[in-house]
Amino acid sequence: MAVPGQSEGDQLHTVVSDHMSPSRILAGRALLWLAALQLLVVLIVQVLHKLEAISIGFVNWRPLLYAYVFWAIALCVSQVLVRGEQGKRALFVLPAVLFVVSMVVFPLLFGLYISFTDWNLSSPTGPKFNGLANFRQMSGDPFYWNALKNMVYYVLAVTVEYTIAFGLALLLNAQVRARKFFRVAFLLPLMLSPVAVSWMVGKSMMEVRFGPLANLGRLLGWDNPSFFGTPELARMTIMLMDAWTFIPFMMVMILAGLQALPKEVQEAAKIDGATPWQGFWQVTFPLMLPVSITAIVIRIIFKLKLADIIINVTSGGPGGATDSVTSFIFREYRDRSNVGYGTLLAMVYLVLIIIFVTTLLKVVNRWTRQFHQEGAG
Amino acid sequence: MKLEVYNRLMAAQMNRRNVLKGAAGAGAIAAGASMGLGGLLRPALAQSGLRAEMLGIPGVGVGSPTDADWQKVGALTLDATRQNVAEREFAGVELTFLGLNNQNLHNFLFRGFLKPWEAYTGAKINWIDLAQADYNARLQQSIATSTVDFDIIEMGAPFEGDVLGKGLASEMPDWVKDQIDMDDYVNYLKAPVGTWGGKTYRISIDGDCHNFNYRTDYFADADLAAAWEAEGNDGPWEVPATWQKVQEVTKFLKGKKVGRFDAHGYLDPLKGWGGFAFYFLGSRATAYAKHPDDADWLFDADTMKPRVNNPAWVRAIQDVLDVLDAQPADQINADPGTTGFQQFLAGTGSMLSWWGDIGSNAQTSDTSVVGNDVAFSILPGSDDVYNAKTGAWDTLASGPNYAPNMAYIGWGVYVMARVDSDAKKQKAAWSAAAHIGGKDISLWTAAYPSGFQPYRNSHFDIPEWVGSGYEEAFISNYLASQADSYNHPNAAIEPRIPGIFQYYSVAEDELAKIYAGQSGAQEGADKIAAAWEKITDQIGRESQIALYKASQGI
Repeated sequence: MAVPGQSEGDQLHTVVSDHMSPSRILAGRALLWLAALQLLVVLIVQVLHKLEAISIGFVNWRPLLYAYVFWAIALCVSQVLVRGEQGKRALFVLPAVLFVVSMVVFPLLFGLYISFTDWNLSSPTGPKFNGLANFRQMSGDPFYWNALKNMVYYVLAVTVEYTIAFGLALLLNAQVRARKFFRVAFLLPLMLSPVAVSWMVGKSMMEVRFGPLANLGRLLGWDNPSFFGTPELARMTIMLMDAWTFIPFMMVMILAGLQALPKEVQEAAKIDGATPWQGFWQVTFPLMLPVSITAIVIRIIFKLKLADIIINVTSGGPGGATDSVTSFIFREYRDRSNVGYGTLLAMVYLVLIIIFVTTLLKVVNRWTRQFHQEGAG
Repeated sequence: MKLEVYNRLMAAQMNRRNVLKGAAGAGAIAAGASMGLGGLLRPALAQSGLRAEMLGIPGVGVGSPTDADWQKVGALTLDATRQNVAEREFAGVELTFLGLNNQNLHNFLFRGFLKPWEAYTGAKINWIDLAQADYNARLQQSIATSTVDFDIIEMGAPFEGDVLGKGLASEMPDWVKDQIDMDDYVNYLKAPVGTWGGKTYRISIDGDCHNFNYRTDYFADADLAAAWEAEGNDGPWEVPATWQKVQEVTKFLKGKKVGRFDAHGYLDPLKGWGGFAFYFLGSRATAYAKHPDDADWLFDADTMKPRVNNPAWVRAIQDVLDVLDAQPADQINADPGTTGFQQFLAGTGSMLSWWGDIGSNAQTSDTSVVGNDVAFSILPGSDDVYNAKTGAWDTLASGPNYAPNMAYIGWGVYVMARVDSDAKKQKAAWSAAAHIGGKDISLWTAAYPSGFQPYRNSHFDIPEWVGSGYEEAFISNYLASQADSYNHPNAAIEPRIPGIFQYYSVAEDELAKIYAGQSGAQEGADKIAAAWEKITDQIGRESQIALYKASQGI
């Protein structure tokens, strides 16, 4: 019997150490150093030029990009020259790493720098480093804390959405008539742009004077069917509109999970005399936990970005009752060109999201293990 | 606005058809038959020469203007260019024009207008089309990142602080001033608007002001008049001329009926509108805050200290709060678009401050139900006016203080300084700008769908409009409300300083909290003032003061 890993095919892909001539290694290293040097020179010249320390320089920063691209190519070539076959293996990853560095890491670092500056686009002096001033402003900004508080409400609403989505998924997983039709019909809200939902539902159907939903409210005895008239009601309506759009997303994930469940387990439970509730709570639900957690976490991440419906329907009102962090940052950044402060708010929000989601995953993971252990016990 | 004017002309043409049903009409048809339908529909009154010919493109009643029509207008008005530019003088020159892409308005027109100009001069224009919502952010980013990639820009005067204040625009040559006949501008569009440091930069292509729109049927209603008297109110039941009366009438109308509908008084937009809703509080405040002896009303020009929390502005905010319960349902979510188009034109409310669009929509829009019951005036005045220098309320010997709000000051065309290094390109850019901002072409933009309101004295020639099919009483009243605002000696003109919309935007956030009952008028106004101080410090107080004064021509 052939031992895995020693088959002929695998042997064909074994990388052997090449014998590198000293001149080749030297050429590789020289190329890399030369490329690095030109990148450094271009960077220093351009920085000094922008600081008006020297007169020579480039009109814009584009030559630095070209220098970076040249350096990146030189780095890849030098890997092959210096390390031979091992270097070729590195080429599978290196371009991606360099791309990520230039497209993700660098902008993130640049954003971090911006967030510690006092940069208003209307200011004639451009960005000025202002230390922790933006952070201090944020800590005393009632609009930001109000928006964060609203986000807590919005995120908590995910639990209700999950319950409804699970219920709908169970229904659609059952042998109901026109099941395929309902599956498509229930998915329709997800296909709509939140901007379209804002206008069609929030600004038309719920319009207090002529909206059909408002008229229905009147028929049911609601004197003043204003869906956004009070802070609590406005927040609730925004939650409902957002839920209407995204419950199908959770539902379809859960439905996929339900369909993947082995039927034998439920059948075995029935044979053992489990009631429908026991079958759900002690068999289906635990088995669905991984899918449920994925659906909830993704939904929460969507929820944390909630902005479009709010911007279109209430502009954060009345009195900030529906403001989300994103819609507030949108106003701060776009309407007020307050780039430094807006970026700081976004950075802090990013950190909060990372902490929140990581903690959530850890807690849920521990809870799931506990749940399964208890179940097994 | 002009789409509605166009529709208005269409509606007027229908009236003319009714007239033509008579015996006199038969003769007119006979006379017109030889000219074709277009000839029949052309104004019969005194519109001679170029202007009359222009008003016939495409002609009332033959559908919306198309690119071919815009090109015809552009070709017809090319004589002014020919006097200053030789044929093919700009061959090889390429210019980039940044403007709005609102459907069949703005850049759509400019393209057509400039096509004959391109053919004659040999220059080529590349276009940057922006949605209105993207305009501010795109402009600010271009300025801040030194990436001005356009030679000509369509821009509102409030942005002059951002552009002119930073030396980004090209000074207007004298030959352009002559070509466009700047003396024809209405008063408030003359210097210092469009100028900076004594130099002229702007070719105006539009005028803006808030006027007062009111329902005539309300104020002719006998039942309301009787109730007004029975409840012991002062004076006769009439159209309010002051904000004090507007408040009285609004409170009086609460719970009343007009016909079978609920009656409402003045409509306040209580929801933000990207900074634009602040103009509407401004329209309530100017009569209180703009003293005839003081050019400032929003900031102290010497210190940039905000006046938004002084007694005048707080009184305006308090006025809004005092009539909150008299507003229609869900007013907390009504932005200016709602108050103008979904409420006033749809029959809700009796008094409204807005731009000229309300008047031009009243009889032409399909959704308007108030066409025959609407009239116009300049904004109401106030029995007393706050004197920021003495801290006292003054009662003027001349009577109530009026201070029309020149909200946004209208669109203009500006040439960027980046063309100055190339004399040929600079002349080409100014020639293109002068062509679309010319006196004759502006008559067409005032009369047809364009996105621009009348802004020259020559646009207020009533017989010309009547000749185009308008009822004299209606158009006289409508145009007078605009002309009287434009030419008012105490007009309130906003500061053209960098970031002015940042101030408005942050004020809207605080106002939303005041209207939602989360803070009082004074407390909220103080918060607005504090936020404005912060913005001023952030942008640079000294530079803001210098730019404010420069914008005032000081």
